[in-house]
Amino acid sequence: MAANPMTQFEVYRIGPEIKVGAFDISFTNASLFMVVSSLAILIIFNLGSKKNSLLPNKLQLLAELSYTFISKMIGDTAGTKARPYFAFIFSLFMFVLFCNMFGMIPYTFTVTSHIIVTFMLAVFIFVGVTIIGFVKHGFGYLKLFVPSGVPAVLLPLIVIIEIISYLSRPVSLSVRLFANMMAGHTMMKVFGGFVISLGVVGGWLPLSFSVALTGLEILVAFLQAYVFAILTCIYLNDALNLHH
Amino acid sequence: MSKDQFKTRLQIAKNKLLRKNLEGKNQNTSNIGSAFKLSTELVAAVVVGTIIGFILDKTFGTKPWLIIIFFFVGVIAGIINVIRSAKNMQK
Repeated sequence: MAANPMTQFEVYRIGPEIKVGAFDISFTNASLFMVVSSLAILIIFNLGSKKNSLLPNKLQLLAELSYTFISKMIGDTAGTKARPYFAFIFSLFMFVLFCNMFGMIPYTFTVTSHIIVTFMLAVFIFVGVTIIGFVKHGFGYLKLFVPSGVPAVLLPLIVIIEIISYLSRPVSLSVRLFANMMAGHTMMKVFGGFVISLGVVGGWLPLSFSVALTGLEILVAFLQAYVFAILTCIYLNDALNLHH
Repeated sequence: MSKDQFKTRLQIAKNKLLRKNLEGKNQNTSNIGSAFKLSTELVAAVVVGTIIGFILDKTFGTKPWLIIIFFFVGVIAGIINVIRSAKNMQK
């Protein structure tokens, strides 16, 4: 009776098969949930910011609260120089948050539980931050790889280590989000399977675990989106204010 | 101590408490963020180092040596990453 806990991560095609050259770009359930979460963000924030009333309704309150939350986060971690990138970080945070949260609804698909999605987001951020760094500092940005006060003998080794640690940023950023989402959803499925297989007599204990895990997963879904956004801010801060 | 003096003192103490509360809250959320950061930082650097070693091995044809060297360099990079994150947490 217990279903395979990994079947929830299966990607399947919805509608006709579309092929461009060797690439399969058909519309899948993953694309569907990306579209759904983007649309939900658009609708909520359009409705929330339309009426600028002094006494805000719930949607307006939501929009304003999330604005101040992100704005404070950017101010704390990356300073005033990162102001122009507010729109990017805000949409990034909201996209990851909504994808995570939509995944918490039963029978939905969690887009962020696939490493390719999170890795593409992370690589996009990584390339963008590197370009920003080179635009702002020119080749002086390479000083990031040469810490001050290192003896000349050790310098080649240190530079290699610094380059590896710089290249590990997108990996750690994407693996963190992907692993947390996938582990959490698998665990919930496993406990759900225990409820079915233990039946009415013994199923209450795993059921209570399942309820507790749902709460934990909602916390993790929010926290991971927050961590994703805050690390983007930290990387942006490194690129904008060079201090090595 | 006059009444006015007491009032100003009370106000100062309240402000201090408020500020402390705000700071504490702020630190708490970013600390959870840093804790999540630490866990994957070490692994990511090792993985990247090993992949670089693998690619260099393939291009130069020095089969096992560069992957071994870069694995350990990746471990060092990961440990340095973790130490840096921990230092940032203490700030």
